Amino acid sequence: MRKEKAPRTLAKKQFRFTAEDGTGYLFILFAMVIFAIFTVYPLVSAVITSFQKYKPVGSEWIALENYKATLKNALFWKAMRNTVIYTVITVPVSQLIAFGIAIMIMPFQKKTQTVFKAIYYIPAVASGIALSVVWQWIYSSSPSGLANQIMTFFGLPTQNWLASSKTAMLSLILMVFLSSQGQNIIIYIAALMGIDNSYFEAAEIDGANFIEKVIYIVWPLCKPTTLFLLVTGVINSFQVFVNAYMMTGGGPDNNTTMIGLLIFNNAFKYGKYGLACAQAVLLTIVIAALTALQFKLNGDDVEY
Amino acid sequence: MKKIVALLLAVVMLLGLCACGSTSEKNEDTKAPEQTAANDASIETEKEAAPDTITVLAPPVMNDYANYVRTAAEEYVKTHPNITVEVIETTWADHQDKMTTMCLAGEAPDISYSETGWLGTYVEMGVGVDLKEYMDADMLADYDEGTLSYTTLDDTLYAVPLYISIQALGGNKAMLEEAGVDVEKVQSQGWSYDEFLEAIKNGTKDGTWGFVFANQGITTADFVNIFGGVAGLTGSFSDELKYAYTSENMLNLLKVMEEITSSGYMPNYTVAAGERLVMLQKGETMVTGKAMPLFETNCRTSTAAVQNGTAEEGFIEMEYVFLPMPTLDGVKANCYGGGGLLVPFRNANTTDEHLKNVVEFYHYLSSGQCAADVCDAVMLPALCESGRKAQENSELVQSEGNAIASAYCTSILVAPPTGITAEQSANAETILNEVIVPKMEALIAGEATAEEVYKIICDEAFALFGEENCETGLIG
Repeated sequence: MRKEKAPRTLAKKQFRFTAEDGTGYLFILFAMVIFAIFTVYPLVSAVITSFQKYKPVGSEWIALENYKATLKNALFWKAMRNTVIYTVITVPVSQLIAFGIAIMIMPFQKKTQTVFKAIYYIPAVASGIALSVVWQWIYSSSPSGLANQIMTFFGLPTQNWLASSKTAMLSLILMVFLSSQGQNIIIYIAALMGIDNSYFEAAEIDGANFIEKVIYIVWPLCKPTTLFLLVTGVINSFQVFVNAYMMTGGGPDNNTTMIGLLIFNNAFKYGKYGLACAQAVLLTIVIAALTALQFKLNGDDVEY
Repeated sequence: MKKIVALLLAVVMLLGLCACGSTSEKNEDTKAPEQTAANDASIETEKEAAPDTITVLAPPVMNDYANYVRTAAEEYVKTHPNITVEVIETTWADHQDKMTTMCLAGEAPDISYSETGWLGTYVEMGVGVDLKEYMDADMLADYDEGTLSYTTLDDTLYAVPLYISIQALGGNKAMLEEAGVDVEKVQSQGWSYDEFLEAIKNGTKDGTWGFVFANQGITTADFVNIFGGVAGLTGSFSDELKYAYTSENMLNLLKVMEEITSSGYMPNYTVAAGERLVMLQKGETMVTGKAMPLFETNCRTSTAAVQNGTAEEGFIEMEYVFLPMPTLDGVKANCYGGGGLLVPFRNANTTDEHLKNVVEFYHYLSSGQCAADVCDAVMLPALCESGRKAQENSELVQSEGNAIASAYCTSILVAPPTGITAEQSANAETILNEVIVPKMEALIAGEATAEEVYKIICDEAFALFGEENCETGLIG
């Protein structure tokens, strides 16, 4: 009898709702309602819609048909392949570029650092659309385009940058390398500033050179930052849309059609909202799986 | 204190949400008195009707069309005081996306501009309105029966065409004559593909291309829809309602494209839709496509600007000539007619009463003076009796040669066959966007041959429509 009573009392104590709990819930109510309306509801709605032939005046339940159609669709797999290629190249290389620039900026005085940080961050302030317009001029396939003028200057033939399968994806990737490093650089600089100077002093006493300091001190101590940038970079890269939409429209021959652009086209161009939702759900699953994998592979010795 | 702050936050949030939810109601409340005030005393004698708001999605069909609709609506509400018209202005760049998004969100505009090719997608969504259910026979009788096939799907009339735009080629008269082209003869009788090829060969000089056809992104579709006439392709479906882009005509068209793009008479780089006319006005090309009769106004304006010294750098004095599409040997002369139309839409909760009001205002915008004004702007004849009557007072500023070419192209227009279903139309649009346009981009870039592209189009179309529902021989 006693043994039965004891856990009941404990359970009652654990789950008793106090006035303080109420205050706490009231504090988070605002955030939770916003989260529910703008994140949970659209997600649940998208999952439900993915099982329907969506029509604004009365949808039809079609079970897994949208998923079957997606998995059988060659364009979906081509878009997935394009997105993977884009991600595999842009994310790690961008991180290396940002890491390198951050290390080169660090030795400067604070004022000079600020100038560099501002310069590198400016493209992040500009809208993707505005950036794309500038890059369209750079990549114009007519002889007057900036990139083609540079080619001509060096005696090389002009290129059909965005309209040729050989150069379209490369052009988009180059655009990321040259204009999307600002945020990563600032985050890396913040991480570098957090490294205690005593490590470098000790390394100098031991006779370590610059490269050794970077490899054995800076890189390991920046690992949490690197993991954070890797995870967010992969997520953002899988969701890339504006660059492909504005620069190439997915062409030529769908060679720059990313999964985000495919979902947009299906939903808002062809009116296949159910199909688009199924593709969005699949994309979410892929991103979640990749994120889990990254934490599994790299996150064991990283604390958050 | 903590409790007060938390309560305050919750109250602010609730108030915010309530305010969001009641915005549209408040708007209607505030608009109603304004509307009432705007109407004159005669309103009181009108039959009482429930207030109703009609939304119109308006791209620049003609200069400042959104404001034109607003002004037309002001006239309309004088006799229909219960109606309020809200006009949502769009650009050509965002119109279709905005229209699709609104339809999918269950907030379709009551009336929107559309093109005939898009119609199937919206009918498939279920937002189309069977016009015959809501439009009186008298109203319907005003429209030319022959043009209604452009807007009929599944034997249901979903819209009436505002105009049928003749889309072919345009050129610089002096350059064409210099290249040995008998412009007057071409404008009145058409020309063969060989004559066209010879002309653009002669017209290609240092700094000037013989021919430019917009080919960036989705405008590549114009190569099939409009330039397809060269090979006798006049639409996605044959008279037997079979898919036409798998026919031999398509292979012939692809071979023509391959020949022209590799000839050196046309730029080997992409040209955006907006660039083609500018290239013509700057003398960078002799012939351009797609082109419409209304380009004459643009060229006349730019030439005047050159003459009075206000033109941008590079523009030249020129006389624009509208030209029919050339045709391959054995192909009957034809012209692509792009239907420009206003479409009424419905939503899940749309009432019959509202649809009646919408269709009445829709008829007002698609006929009479409203139709005449739009058709005047695009230099085309109205497609309804009342519109043509109103056009009698209009003065079209069109050269004699271009008027002859317009009349010739109108006489060889090929209307789409009747009986196309909404599903067929939507599938044709999907295959155009997902297969034909991307593969044509590869052809233009020199990365695929005509035969390879043709095979892929056939494979995809056979899978979608079934081989028995696709044309495989020569049409026409």
